[in-house]
Amino acid sequence: MIQVEGLTKIFHDKKRGKILAVNNLKFNCLKGQVFGLLGPNGAGKTTTLRALATMILPTKGKITVNGYDVVKEASKVRRQIGFLSSETGLYDRFTPRETVMFFGRINGMKDKDIKKRTAEIFHNLDMENFQDVRVNKLSTGMKQKLSIARSIIHDPPVLILDEPTVGLDIITAKTVIEYVKRFRDQGKCIIYSTHIMREAEKLCDMIAIIHQGNLIVQGTLEELKKNSSSDDLEEIFFELINQGENLE
Amino acid sequence: MNWKNIKLIFIKELVGTIRDKRTIIAMIIIPLIFYPLLFTGIGYFNKMGSIKSEETNSKIMIYGMEFAPQLVKHLQDSEKIEILTTKDDPSFKLHNGDIQAVLVIPSDFKYKTEQEESGKIILKYDATEAKSRIAQKRVNQIIEKYKGEIILQRLSRLDLKEEFLNPLILQEENIATAEKITGSFLAVLLPYLIIILIFAGAMHTAVDITAGEKERGTIATLLVSQISRLEIVLGKCFAIMLISFIGMVLGLLGLALAFLLGASVAGGIEGVNFGISINTIFLLFLVLFPLVGLASAVLVMVGIFARNIREASSYITPIYMLTVFLGVISISQGMELSGKMFLVPVLNSSFVLKELLMGKIYWDHILTTFIANMVIAGLALLGATRLFSKEEVLFRS
Repeated sequence: MIQVEGLTKIFHDKKRGKILAVNNLKFNCLKGQVFGLLGPNGAGKTTTLRALATMILPTKGKITVNGYDVVKEASKVRRQIGFLSSETGLYDRFTPRETVMFFGRINGMKDKDIKKRTAEIFHNLDMENFQDVRVNKLSTGMKQKLSIARSIIHDPPVLILDEPTVGLDIITAKTVIEYVKRFRDQGKCIIYSTHIMREAEKLCDMIAIIHQGNLIVQGTLEELKKNSSSDDLEEIFFELINQGENLE
Repeated sequence: MNWKNIKLIFIKELVGTIRDKRTIIAMIIIPLIFYPLLFTGIGYFNKMGSIKSEETNSKIMIYGMEFAPQLVKHLQDSEKIEILTTKDDPSFKLHNGDIQAVLVIPSDFKYKTEQEESGKIILKYDATEAKSRIAQKRVNQIIEKYKGEIILQRLSRLDLKEEFLNPLILQEENIATAEKITGSFLAVLLPYLIIILIFAGAMHTAVDITAGEKERGTIATLLVSQISRLEIVLGKCFAIMLISFIGMVLGLLGLALAFLLGASVAGGIEGVNFGISINTIFLLFLVLFPLVGLASAVLVMVGIFARNIREASSYITPIYMLTVFLGVISISQGMELSGKMFLVPVLNSSFVLKELLMGKIYWDHILTTFIANMVIAGLALLGATRLFSKEEVLFRS
């Protein structure tokens, strides 16, 4: 569903000059799969996901989402994706119902369909009791549920989740993870970036570790364990990162 | 470009703005409640002050009363003047406010007036004190009356009539109607006020829905939707235009209400009669529309460029100052713009507004202003859309 081939992104900074944020990345993410993108801060996770979500253009390489090219068919790609990151905010002065209605409409849905789907999502996410309360009155957990609802209102086959549990308390984070699992079971293709190893262990069918813009390794958790001296993903992660640094 | 999408953004921004308490305070409470209350208060206290000053007697001291007994009698006859006699230093008392004026009649006054020369009288008062100014006015009136009597006596001695001194009578007739007088008064101030209100009304909303969206992280959610960058920019710009226009109208209403209330409390105004034709209203819109568009487009562009609300505000401050400066130029009386100067945004609008309010319709000025402002607004919109497509601007940190 998502195919990334040779993705390279270079930023130009007045002070620092050229910055190679992502270097020749290659991976595939399939339907019904959670693909974990692991790496420390500044590894290139957000850049990769922004390129997937058509928010930034790749310097080199090709990305297709459900068969559509992110550069040439950006609008079609956007129809395929739901995007959620720790940085995406909500409109404080709207209620959850209004928020979801707005995002349904700007994604080209008909009001009738939005209403039907909203009722379904709000029921599943247990949001009915606060659907008419303005966002600025909601708790962090309620807001995160709304963020999820907003990103899936148009029923996208692909979900791009950039560190969706950052800054959340343990209970809300668990809720988010539960829903990601549920979406996988519904057959969606989910790309999930995180630097929390426990989450990746619990959630990801495939794991790719990136460091300083380079893909260090990718495979299932079992495959990673097999090629490592350790059984713990955190240990494996540090081992690989160190190897990567030594190679440089 | 899909108008339905533009409308979605437009309505979202409008609803968001209306639900913002700060907008309600800035657009409704301040102009429609605060201004009138403030002006009514000012008018009330002014009136109370002036009534008090007008009602109280003016206390004055006279030096050399014996040298002008006739004048002193006139002063004594006046109900509002109280003549005091004291041995203290009169200058000190005048400074203190115990007395309001000192009249000094030199010893040669009687002799000089009798000899048909000019007799000199000195009137000391404090121009910064309202009561002292009133005393000066009252004494002056009596002195003028007394002067008239002396002139008549002198004329009769020479066997001349009063008309001898007035060989010519000029009767001036002002053909300006009450509407025109009010119009010309408003034409000085109104364009400046309109420009300030348009920019002030647009600023808060513009910053909130551009840089504010970046700061709150909601911009990314719009970028991954089906709406194009141009549609987002246009939707936002139209919302700012409407808010800014409503802000201007409410601001003007508030000021008019404040002025009328304040003036009526202070004693009423006469001759204010503002007539404006439908044609002029249409032409005013023709000038205001591109101006509102220009303000909104420029503010959207700046707001999108800024990283956050604080940065946007600091970019907008100099733009606002420049606008105030261009608006102020139109206040200066007698200044006229040459043809090319009507290409300068804001300045052109203020002068065309001024002309229209004075009932002058110069189509070349109106069209130049319309086209110049529309072109600049369009360029600013294109600039904003381009900035909106630049990842280094959208994701600057």
